[in-house]
Amino acid sequence: METSYETIIIGGGVVGSSIAYHLSERNKEGIVVLDKKFPLSGTSGSTQAWVWVHNKTPSWYAEFSMYSAELYPYLSKKIGDVEYKRTGGLSPFFSELDREKAERLAEAYEPIGIKIKVLSREEALEKEPSLNPDIVGATYSSIDGNVNPFRLVDRYMRAAKKNGVQYSTYNKVTEIQKLPGKFIVRAEKGRFECKNLVLAGGTWSRELGKLVEVTIPINQLRGQILVTEPLKPFLNYTISGLRQAFNGEVLIGYSMEEEGFNRATTLDVIQETANMAIHYVPSLRKAKVVRAFSGIRAMPEDGFPILGKIPGVENLYVAAMHSGVTLSPLVGTLMTELILDGETSIPIDRYSISRFA
Amino acid sequence: MDKSTIICRCEEISLEEIVEVIANGARTFDDIKRLTRCGMGPCQSKICNCLVAGVIHEQTGMEFHQIPLPRMRMPISPIKLETLATNSTTFSSVKSVLDEVELEDGKVK
Ligand SMILES: Cc1cc2nc3c(=O)[nH]c(=O)nc-3n(C[C@H](O)[C@H](O)[C@H](O)COP(=O)(O)OP(=O)(O)OC[C@H]3O[C@@H](n4cnc5c(N)ncnc54)[C@H](O)[C@@H]3O)c2cc1C
Ligand code: FES
Repeated sequence: METSYETIIIGGGVVGSSIAYHLSERNKEGIVVLDKKFPLSGTSGSTQAWVWVHNKTPSWYAEFSMYSAELYPYLSKKIGDVEYKRTGGLSPFFSELDREKAERLAEAYEPIGIKIKVLSREEALEKEPSLNPDIVGATYSSIDGNVNPFRLVDRYMRAAKKNGVQYSTYNKVTEIQKLPGKFIVRAEKGRFECKNLVLAGGTWSRELGKLVEVTIPINQLRGQILVTEPLKPFLNYTISGLRQAFNGEVLIGYSMEEEGFNRATTLDVIQETANMAIHYVPSLRKAKVVRAFSGIRAMPEDGFPILGKIPGVENLYVAAMHSGVTLSPLVGTLMTELILDGETSIPIDRYSISRFA
Repeated sequence: MDKSTIICRCEEISLEEIVEVIANGARTFDDIKRLTRCGMGPCQSKICNCLVAGVIHEQTGMEFHQIPLPRMRMPISPIKLETLATNSTTFSSVKSVLDEVELEDGKVK
């Protein structure tokens, strides 16, 4: 294998693979993705994969997410069917207090172009008849949807390879050395050299940062998901909490636990998740669960993406975030601009790692 | 085995599809599962598990004892949501997205 590259991307999840693909659209040579296991073995293979915008806060983060969601239709044209569906997103609520929040949210997001409707109980039930009749209302936006994360990463990877990107998998990076004008990257399967280095290690970003003596403040936040048997299509929208996939399975879950890298599933959270499912959509009571899985979110200390150049180290970049499925089309696009042109079409200063300094 | 032989009956995945993803770098049952859905059916790979291990062995030369087993996930056989549920509507680990929207002076933070 050749060992000298223009750009090395460490991490082949949805974030690293999107960067590799977008970069390869303009730069056909000299890109390699290194992954300690295989793409999808990390968080990108254990996610809900909503493409979600409408109740992200604050408004600038929602706006950033919206730009990414808007790239999805074009992306699926380019890389192939990723089962992206802009279903529209519904967030049901059960209290008047939440209606108050919802109204304020709709007002605040109108000027940035995110249209949120605050639905009455009747309107919500008309849209999604399976919802619990005890709801008080729901927020709705047509911008939200979901995607098949397995297909998404597979398609990014295939499209990138077609453009000449190499993937070197089961190849953990163990050492990084910065020399003038280049990096020496040592991995299990050998030594690599590059000009540009992108750290896209997801939930392992903190460890990766240590190799270059940079603190990347990413923590772990576990989420557990239940998957039902395939059911006939009956949910019209992506509901925050559950969604029905193309093949009819319903994926249920929105749990958060600080459990480090422990990917176990636990009975207490499974029970709570089952309660949530039935609370939102009572007819799910009779549906059978065939699988439970858990994933470890890459959660930046302040919740927002860590994106861009790493100050002080020439040609070193980082892209680590939660909601990487939603954000991957935009992040891939902007990181490509940053690496090749030195600037981005949408400002990303807000997301710089320097904010933690 | 013919290349159109079905390896995973639940998800109707053929030998050819599995060979293709191994050629693309997949090495473990879980890699293959995520890329093809092989093993994600109602039997949760109880039927296709050994067949897949055989294909990995044949295609990569990996010894059987080196091939990791698929991660077995709860529930071991399908179970109704109502059986898992406790009918409580107080949540701790499970959140609602509106919990994350906070108001300050009557405005969204
Ligand atoms: C339960 C759950 C639900 C979620 N729901 C959503 C959702 O609905 N919508 C949404 O947008 N997002 C959601 N997310 C978040 C989303 O899945 C992640 O933000 C995204 O998958 C992160 O992608 P990534 O590429 O950064 O990480 P990963 O997919 O984890 O990729 C990182 C890669 O880096 C590799 N790596 C790490 N260290 C090294 C090393 N030293 N050498 C070589 N390789 C290395 C790993 O092997 C891994 O493949 C959810 C997450 C969870 C857990
Ligand atoms: S035969 Fe493969 S999951 Fe059942």
